[in-house]
Amino acid sequence: MGTDDVLTVRGLRKRYRGRTGVQANDGIDLDVAAGQVVGLLGHNGAGKSTLVNQVVGLVLPDAGTIHLDGIDAVAQPHLARARASIQAQANVPITGLTPRRAVELVGRIRGARRPEVRRRTEHLLDALDLGPWADTPAEKVSGGIARLTAFAMTVVAPGRLVVLDEPTNDVDPVRRRLLWQQIRALADDGHAVLLVTHNVREAERVVDRLAILDHGVVLAEDTPAGLTAPLRGALTVEVDLAHDATPTTEPGTTGPAVAWHPAVRPVAATRGRASGTVAADAAPEVVRWAQAEVEAGRLERYALTPASLEDVYVALVGDARPATDAPTPATTPEVAA
Amino acid sequence: MTTLSQLGLLTQWQLRRQATMLPLLVVVQVFLAIATILGFGLVIGEPTPEQALYLATGAPTITLVMVGLVMTPQMVSQARTEGSLDWMRTLPVPRGLFLLSDLVVWTLIALPGMVLGIVVGMLRFDVHLSLAAWFVPAALLVSLTAAAVGYGMASLLKPTLAMLMTQVLVFVILLFTPVSFPADRMPSWLQTAHAWLPFEPMAQLVRSGLASDTFSVPGRSLVVLLVWSAAAVAGATWALRRRA
Repeated sequence: MGTDDVLTVRGLRKRYRGRTGVQANDGIDLDVAAGQVVGLLGHNGAGKSTLVNQVVGLVLPDAGTIHLDGIDAVAQPHLARARASIQAQANVPITGLTPRRAVELVGRIRGARRPEVRRRTEHLLDALDLGPWADTPAEKVSGGIARLTAFAMTVVAPGRLVVLDEPTNDVDPVRRRLLWQQIRALADDGHAVLLVTHNVREAERVVDRLAILDHGVVLAEDTPAGLTAPLRGALTVEVDLAHDATPTTEPGTTGPAVAWHPAVRPVAATRGRASGTVAADAAPEVVRWAQAEVEAGRLERYALTPASLEDVYVALVGDARPATDAPTPATTPEVAA
Repeated sequence: MTTLSQLGLLTQWQLRRQATMLPLLVVVQVFLAIATILGFGLVIGEPTPEQALYLATGAPTITLVMVGLVMTPQMVSQARTEGSLDWMRTLPVPRGLFLLSDLVVWTLIALPGMVLGIVVGMLRFDVHLSLAAWFVPAALLVSLTAAAVGYGMASLLKPTLAMLMTQVLVFVILLFTPVSFPADRMPSWLQTAHAWLPFEPMAQLVRSGLASDTFSVPGRSLVVLLVWSAAAVAGATWALRRRA
């Protein structure tokens, strides 16, 4: 916990009562400092939204503390709301309004002055390339434009803490880049940004720190480089199965799987596609194996890339289910076949 | 940023959000007010002057109550289902202002229907009205109470259940509430029930505000209505403040 922390969460617990009683947060510790973008990664149901809703006082924690810009957010939710702006995961319906009108109105409801709101709205519409849609009725804009409008509504008069829940959903690749630039600019202006996402690959490029949330606890928290450090010297190998290949079935699974080279540690598999990690010094062997597989018609294509955060994430969250199987990245090529 | 300007901005947001539906909502309210008068006229036949006065002064109450108890819960339930209510609640706005801005919106929507209902009633039944000086605040109190009850209902019940309740309420208020007819036509148990419900006091208040030289409001009714009003506003505000 540093002195410039805007958000400090300690030991946060929340259990939803009722028949399906879910322990949504199970002792979360998290810090977000001014000038930082902190990514919060996790599956659906990992407890991300519950955490956010407690920060702005929509949900009451069972235990733990939340301090936001020096105030106790649990005791004084109205003060917390004045210091945080939230982009919800679901798009806020703005039918009847235009993107420009919606952004300006929210800016003024948040308490900013009219000239300032006008200036900032114009800047955001321009920076996100929303100009052509700015004055179109909301019912006629696409999902991606609506998503960007929701982002602009959130940051037109940003609080000290800005929480963005899946801001890039539905956004086209070109505007996505513009959006990431704006998110970075928010942090550079001194705001603390909490970026909730399960898009591991994209988050990796913009965040300063990452927290991986699973079953209501933070499993790991570090810089992207720190998190991938154990995988340094490892590569990710991805393969697409050939369509007419006879699938072999892995013990314990039902779907088709790859008969990997022994040096590969399997990470993920979906229908027709699989990935794993391989130690860098075993890479030439694996390339030869993969090329032979392609020539034999069992693989469509293959690729080797530097090990990514996604591999760390999958290792922590995906493979952690059978709890005893510790997620150790394969650093030696001698893996039992 | 003053509370008042924030209220104005919120109201603007809500009104603009309804912009496409607004004309239709107003038309439906006007239609409802006129239909109540003409429809009950058909049921009764040629009404006596007393019946005519009840019908003409009952229609505005029905408009106000319908907007508050039927349309408000429907809109609140919709806002809950589509997620916009939760998002609005993340804004740094005093919770009571959400309720207040909605009340302003719904009162504005109910207003044309109420006024037109009064005019149509006067023309159709050829009744003479004597407007009391306090009619406007009285109508606002009725509107506030109805909308706050509707708001609370929609906030506390599951959206589907709240929608269902509104359907039941339409029926009960139109036919089993002494709004467009005197209370002594109902069985005594229903009269007793209405002595504690807010609807009869609402009707009495509007009725005597419109025909002040014929009707008056019993003090007890005013107390019942004020208690309901305070409880409903408190309940709705509590629902808005509540943390899951």
